[in-house]
Amino acid sequence: MRKVFDDYRVLSDETLRPDEPRVEKFLQAMKKSLQQKDNWTFWLPYTLSLDTCMKCGTCAEVCPVYIASGRKEIYHPVYRSDMLRKIYKRYFTLPGRLFPWLVGAEDLTEDKLNAMAENIYRCTICRRCAYVCPVAIDNGVIAREARKLFDAIDIAPDEIKKNGTQKQIQFGNATGTPAKAFFDMVEFLEDEIEETRGYRVKMPIDKAGAEYLLMHNAGDYLAFAETVMGAAEVMNAAGVDWTLNSPETGVNDVVNYGVFFSDVEFAKIIKAHVETAKKLGIKVFVVGECGHAFEALKYLILRFIPPEDRPFEVKSILELEDEWIREGRIKVDPTKNPEPVTYHDSCKLGRLGGMYEEPRRILKACCADFREMTPNREMSICCGGGSGFAIMEKGDFYKFRMETYGKLKAEQVKATGASVVALACSNCKGQFREIINHYKLPVRFAGISELVANALVR
Amino acid sequence: MNFGQYFIGGIMPYVAVVFLIFGLVYKIIYWFRAPMHLHWEMFPYPHTLMEQLNELVTEVLTLRSLYTYNRKLWFPSWVMHWGIYLVVFWLVLLLLGAPFAVYLGQAGGALALAGSLLLILFRLFDAGLRKISAPVEYFNLLFVFLLALSGLAGGVLSDFGIRNYFLSLFTFQPQLPLPGSYLTPLLLFELFLIYIPFTRMAHFAAKFFTYHKVKWGELE
Repeated sequence: MRKVFDDYRVLSDETLRPDEPRVEKFLQAMKKSLQQKDNWTFWLPYTLSLDTCMKCGTCAEVCPVYIASGRKEIYHPVYRSDMLRKIYKRYFTLPGRLFPWLVGAEDLTEDKLNAMAENIYRCTICRRCAYVCPVAIDNGVIAREARKLFDAIDIAPDEIKKNGTQKQIQFGNATGTPAKAFFDMVEFLEDEIEETRGYRVKMPIDKAGAEYLLMHNAGDYLAFAETVMGAAEVMNAAGVDWTLNSPETGVNDVVNYGVFFSDVEFAKIIKAHVETAKKLGIKVFVVGECGHAFEALKYLILRFIPPEDRPFEVKSILELEDEWIREGRIKVDPTKNPEPVTYHDSCKLGRLGGMYEEPRRILKACCADFREMTPNREMSICCGGGSGFAIMEKGDFYKFRMETYGKLKAEQVKATGASVVALACSNCKGQFREIINHYKLPVRFAGISELVANALVR
Repeated sequence: MNFGQYFIGGIMPYVAVVFLIFGLVYKIIYWFRAPMHLHWEMFPYPHTLMEQLNELVTEVLTLRSLYTYNRKLWFPSWVMHWGIYLVVFWLVLLLLGAPFAVYLGQAGGALALAGSLLLILFRLFDAGLRKISAPVEYFNLLFVFLLALSGLAGGVLSDFGIRNYFLSLFTFQPQLPLPGSYLTPLLLFELFLIYIPFTRMAHFAAKFFTYHKVKWGELE
């Protein structure tokens, strides 16, 4: 793959088609994105962010990529936003048409388009910069809108589109697991629990009318099975009427990669989630340990699907675990998790989801030695797995993930002295698995549900 | 009376105010009529009106975000912003007839002058800032700088007598001629008012939307 921006490549040549003329199509897509009716979902934050940046650079002072890269100009959040902003000014504003040199407007070329397509996949849209901006300008929304524009001209990473949203719609999950294999997998996990705990936990599947539908990131069954098993133990201990679901009843993967790059794809998946829940007739849709899925189902859904069309409540598994521990519905003993534990705030659960206290209350109840990572909560540093990065590896991208976001995170974890990093998001888990290996950290990561299950008193 | 006096002192004040008001009103209505976007707020955020006002006033008066996250830029920005605030207070108090308004005018002019100069220097010599700056960034700061400089040098900010001229504008019978040294700052001020609504100088209005409508959300 040839170099188009920096030393990495997220988009393959087949996807990016770097030698094909795409400028005209891109400008047409951009024109549409600036129309209120064609882009109502994000028009206001998008256009305000294009128009009102004062160029103070405060965003850069908190950007993990920029800081960890040794303040490389190309990773400055404003440099990235300006790639799109310069085009916006040149083609869609009067001053930019009349005095391009004055306002920093520039013509779009195929080379600039290639560079931009890559650079918008150097930002995880963690929105730490937007949180601190004096004018509340959001470089994250600009990166996401740019991703939408590229998707509109059919340029999107395979991991999140071809092997992501499209596969999820086709198979019910982005892992491509058929129903039969799913049933076997769940049975295997039931056996696993029996083997380690000495008792069997039934994991109901496709139970119509259950109170709780627990939907995990389907990748968790393969990569982070402890989280799936832990959640099952908790549901069982709480004695609630719950179910998992298989591809036989619709989508059985809580992820929605559309959140990362496309409103069109987002819409397809969220509608499929709603249909599945309605078909099963459940009362509460429980989002497993997955950050962006929580954002999608808890917040993005609200103005997208009218309340009467989604006759169920949405809760994170963390909310339930927190409630049940506080109510005494499940009993936990912190001495069962004696090692020092720290917690990494997922951007999507924290800054974008407001879920700061629930995981902390859970961990303090279930672990004997809980330690905060600094900075945390709204100023938490993105681990670098966000917006699909955790599953992107080609074009040396693993190295980028480790040497920017990963570097800062590894230092932060070391400073806590903890031997367990508790995580509540699959992307974070994917990224931490690599960070721990890459930096040879003397720690392991664990899902929140795994730690709760471990602390259960039966 | 020469044409310059008539144009700058008699016509342009009305043109400028009309542009400022209509421009801002148009922009604000334009933003208000935007379709309701998907939830995109960031946590934590202030929920009650009092909490929001508290955060808003603190940010406006102290530029807390810069203080906390971008300290090197905070002082010059704070100086320039307070310079502008004081000049606004000068105008209001001058119209109300408070003689001490002239001190506010002079202090405001001096702060705006110093702040804008420091910001220009920062932009020129801080490598990170220089790289993200287009000519318009320098132009905007230079505009504030020249406005402050001409206001101070021309003596208009320290002249309580200018009150009569401003009041005469309200009765559509401008008291002319003005002292010659007042014409440059007055013209720059008029151009500044026209410039505001069409540029990022209107960020004071845009902030309502970026904060209240986006960052602080509106959970139903």
